[in-house]
Amino acid sequence: MASDGNEWELSKENVQPLRQGRVMATLQEALAQQDVSSHVAIQQQKREFESEIRFYCGDDPLDVWDRYIKWTEQTFPQGGKESNLSAVLERAVKALSEQQRYYQDPRYLSLWLKFGNCCSEPLDLYSYLHSQVIGTSLAQLYITWAEELEARGNYKKADLIFQDGLRCKAEPLDKLQSHHRQFQARASRQAIEDLEEDYEEESSLSASEPQRTTLAELKGRGKKTGRAPISRVGNAVKFPSQGARLQNPASQQVSNCPKFAVFDENKVVASRTEVPVLVPQPWAAPPTIKAKENELQAGPWNMGRHPRSNMNSSTVAPAALPNFTPYVEESAQQQTMTPCKIESSLNCVLSARKPGKEDDPLRRVQNHQQDSQEKKEQPMYCKERVYAGVEEFSLEEIRAEIYRKKAKKKREEELQTIAQKKAELQRKIEEMEKMVREQPVNHDQKPYGQQIEEQMLVDVTSDVPGVLKRPMTQRQTSLTDTTAFVERPLLDCFSLKSRFEQDGHRKSSSSDSEMPPSVIPSVPFSIFDESSLVENQNVSLPTGPPLVCTKRPLAVRKSSEGIAAKENIPPENPDELHGIEPLSEDPIVTEWYRNKTLCPSPEDTCDFVTAAHVASTPFHGVIEQRSLLDESKETCPEPQAASLSHCTIVNEDQYAEALCVKKLSPIMEASQEDTRSSASSSSPTQISINKFQQIPEKLELAQSCTDELVSDAENSSSNSAERLQYTEQRKQLLQPLQDFLTKTPYFKLEPQPMPWVELEKEVDIGNETYSVTREYVISEDDKMFFAVLTIFPPETSKAFLIKVHSEPVPWDFYITLRLQERLDAGFDQSFSDSCTCFLYNNGCVTLHKDINRFTLQDMIQQCKVIPQEVVLLIVDNLLDVVAKLHTAEIVHGNLQPATLFLGDRICDSFANAENASALKVVDFSHSLDLKLQSRMNLPKGLPIAQTQAGQQILDEKYLPYQVDLIGIANILHFMLFGECLQVHQEEGYWKTDRDVSQSVDSDLWSMFFVQILNADGKSTVSLLRELREELRGAFDSSFPGRVSESLAKLENLFNTENIF
Amino acid sequence: MAKQQSREQGITLRGSAEMVAEFFSYGINSILYQRGIYPAETFTHVQKYGLTMLVTADSELKNYLNNVVGQLKEWLSECSVQRLVVVISSKETSEVLERWQFDIECDKAAKEENTPREKSQKAIQDEIKSVIRQITATVTFLPLLETTCAFDLLIYTDRDLAVPEQWEESGPQFIANSEEVRLRSFTTTIHKVSTMVAYKKEAFP
Repeated sequence: MASDGNEWELSKENVQPLRQGRVMATLQEALAQQDVSSHVAIQQQKREFESEIRFYCGDDPLDVWDRYIKWTEQTFPQGGKESNLSAVLERAVKALSEQQRYYQDPRYLSLWLKFGNCCSEPLDLYSYLHSQVIGTSLAQLYITWAEELEARGNYKKADLIFQDGLRCKAEPLDKLQSHHRQFQARASRQAIEDLEEDYEEESSLSASEPQRTTLAELKGRGKKTGRAPISRVGNAVKFPSQGARLQNPASQQVSNCPKFAVFDENKVVASRTEVPVLVPQPWAAPPTIKAKENELQAGPWNMGRHPRSNMNSSTVAPAALPNFTPYVEESAQQQTMTPCKIESSLNCVLSARKPGKEDDPLRRVQNHQQDSQEKKEQPMYCKERVYAGVEEFSLEEIRAEIYRKKAKKKREEELQTIAQKKAELQRKIEEMEKMVREQPVNHDQKPYGQQIEEQMLVDVTSDVPGVLKRPMTQRQTSLTDTTAFVERPLLDCFSLKSRFEQDGHRKSSSSDSEMPPSVIPSVPFSIFDESSLVENQNVSLPTGPPLVCTKRPLAVRKSSEGIAAKENIPPENPDELHGIEPLSEDPIVTEWYRNKTLCPSPEDTCDFVTAAHVASTPFHGVIEQRSLLDESKETCPEPQAASLSHCTIVNEDQYAEALCVKKLSPIMEASQEDTRSSASSSSPTQISINKFQQIPEKLELAQSCTDELVSDAENSSSNSAERLQYTEQRKQLLQPLQDFLTKTPYFKLEPQPMPWVELEKEVDIGNETYSVTREYVISEDDKMFFAVLTIFPPETSKAFLIKVHSEPVPWDFYITLRLQERLDAGFDQSFSDSCTCFLYNNGCVTLHKDINRFTLQDMIQQCKVIPQEVVLLIVDNLLDVVAKLHTAEIVHGNLQPATLFLGDRICDSFANAENASALKVVDFSHSLDLKLQSRMNLPKGLPIAQTQAGQQILDEKYLPYQVDLIGIANILHFMLFGECLQVHQEEGYWKTDRDVSQSVDSDLWSMFFVQILNADGKSTVSLLRELREELRGAFDSSFPGRVSESLAKLENLFNTENIF
Repeated sequence: MAKQQSREQGITLRGSAEMVAEFFSYGINSILYQRGIYPAETFTHVQKYGLTMLVTADSELKNYLNNVVGQLKEWLSECSVQRLVVVISSKETSEVLERWQFDIECDKAAKEENTPREKSQKAIQDEIKSVIRQITATVTFLPLLETTCAFDLLIYTDRDLAVPEQWEESGPQFIANSEEVRLRSFTTTIHKVSTMVAYKKEAFP
């Protein structure tokens, strides 16, 4: 039975019908567990309602009660003690009786009406409601009231109630009206029936046999007949509601036996109908309702003094002889047993309010109101809460609930703040992204930092705005130059001579005196002053070229001297200090800085740059100055250099874009810087080392403005940490290979500090003195210099290449040796065949002989369009070289135009076309020896992998070889379009953003890009060979001729460049 | 009826249709009485299925029901009826308050068969009895019909059936937010009738 879901039918007698009907699911559930007095879930729900009543903080407490009561009705279909419905209702109406606003609320009225059903005398309750103006504007009150009256046969009064309701225009009026109409119909029908019955009865009463009245005496009367008296009533039993008519005969009968007042139901009905309550009286309090005639007052049982009339009929029974078993209702028997208490484990209710026994609920409500009116005592505990619901809560429970609520609120708040933060971050991220996206559109060629600097300059020199104009525009072009080479790892930082010296001045002056420069009046050395520098610039600019000449003597700085010694060297270009104004502006500048909070928001690079200046760099404006000078140097003597800015301008956007991503932590750097500079002032022996390290640090700052490729997209401190780790790794790797390195005659161990290599200076390496003529920067740790022997005039474009590494790790040399070893015959002119390594205490110098001074980058910059033949030639060579590297299990890792030197095939017109190579690969600073280095701990920071294309294409588990493929693609892209490779994915294939179809050999190149960018797991060596084969297809018979033609043109270009 | 009684055990299509139609007649009467659609005075007691059934004494209503049931019987024996619905709606707002739905599954194969099915009439009557009982018991959960109500009979038939003169086509008259309770079903092996009542769901907790 239980399975087919028809339990409800079995216990239909136990289900109280509800006005609004029942939910079958709830009903089934309730009936299924009917015997389990305390179902856990129900108890829990009840508990929830109870606590909600206590801790409700919304503005509609009635809602809670309403739901609670509806729930109770549904959950306890059989009503009864368990449901405690009347107690809940009582509590509800009491609790809300002070809320006047609910008085015309239909929900509140329905509570009252439901409560009325629990009362024994609902009519009193209705008139109470009426007097209290509760629900007087609602039709339901009048309808219910009238129904009740109707049920009791008081049609007249019921009609009055309806009239009253209609007069009040109770809502909904139409409902009231229809009910009234129906009532009238019923009433009139009833009246007719009554009349008919009356008539019938009168006739039948006389005719038919008289009926006995209830409980009439049956004792025989009269002496002879002994017949029981006929004292019967008519249809009274059948139609109790119509008893009014029969009242008289009944009372007559009763009056016959005055000794014994038997309760007569007919009488009750009669008495009720007699009450002429037509107009509701004003009630001060709810009425006492129960007709208590039959209720027994508590008293001693055996006294028997009470008049028998006060006992009800059941008490008479025991008095009779017990020769029959009195019928005891089953339910009554159950009541005699102690009802099974609700399990304590489930219910920890202190006491549950039970429906009152001694008193009528309405009376209690009434009392309550009276109480509240004359409330004298003030409970010193939260009484309302303890007793608010039907169940009693302990104080601890209340406290716990309050605590829980607080905790919940707190949690919610936390969650909210987290959500807010998240949203904010999200917004910021979006902003950043937007900025990044907008940046290319925005043709602002200056990175933030430099903008700021300029602004600073404007600030500082605001009194000379006219003069400033020129330098500003000048600087703009120079910035173009410095920032142009996105792909070129580092600019010639070592050539920051002027800047460095300036720094030196500043540093020594401050570290020596520990006093603001403005305080020092003496002039053994000139005090560096930012404002003066600006002035200086302004003054010196017009005389650009001569100034440059004075600024760049070819000097080799001895390392032992260091910065500290700098102050003794007279200022190198006194010109610069020409127009120094008194240091009047300095306090302003310093003051301005001092007030600046050094707390960069991570997104704000402007702040960062400003902060960085204050923290670590004495004066950052030098960069501008330097580049300005560079520029002026470059532009002034050579008119061709003008093209430089032209062909590189395209890179600005990417550059700026990259810059935006950059996040640096100035504080970290600043502190590093500080400690170092203080160390330098304390121990002279350390100076040289510190100095060397200091430069990269500073360069890093400079680089943050000039070159993004090398530095990680994250902050540079982590980058340098990684680099450090990287170096450490290499050191360890090379440790067991000491012999391998040292046994070659080209390895020289120099147990001394590394000489200071600087542009335009002379440097002693080994037994030779070289003069440095050009600087190439690969990364912070690696620089290359082009140098010639001092004894020979720098006529030729072929000379030495000095590769300086800031750590004593001869990695370049090692890779070269390995290549030599592994390639054997394959080690051709594409690699440096005469290379010497000098290992110093604090660094390593690799000297390559016979290297052309021009890099591929130079070519790209010099030629607006590189002849197609040359491109083919270079790419062919490049493929060959990389294939060779990969066969030797070496990954170059940083194939960039700036690190690839042009080979003899291009630079030397007399070179043998067969042997000479187009390129020379000398720089292996980022190379990996996969034989030596396990793949597990490959550095993540390979420069190529950091480019946009690299980041996009290379996934988590890329093969290191792939890095070089992207490098090749990048180089080709540069040669074809003069800009960095940008890729997008199309149908699962990576493609370059640029439309290759515009260029010559479009088919070849588009195929090339697709293949090289989508290599995936393919063997790179074979792929490179295939590609090379395909390229070779373009080498027809006329090719050599065309190549030599183009090369001749190129050579002219380079020759004019020689002065450079 | 006579045929069935003579055979005692067999159920034919015609007999089945008759039984089902009879069930509907009593069932609808029962609903009308239980739900108070017509005043209780207009009903008289009849012994049927071992129960005391109340059937209307109102002649008009009687005629109407006889007409419907007669038509239904015809369709039942054609196996072309799918569903009968008693829709109780408020007279004033004509809002549908209750919907008694009797789904009829006809075994169309019985049309061709000549052999009667094996099921005792008693068994079927017992099943019908329990359904009628359940209809009576639904007052335990059905909401009180507070307004005066009218009822409608909807019969879902096969598509191709021609609409008789006294009938008209109508919508399903569903209740928007309703609680549905399935009652028992009975089968004559040819017709299977499953009962369901749907009523307006109020804002229950």
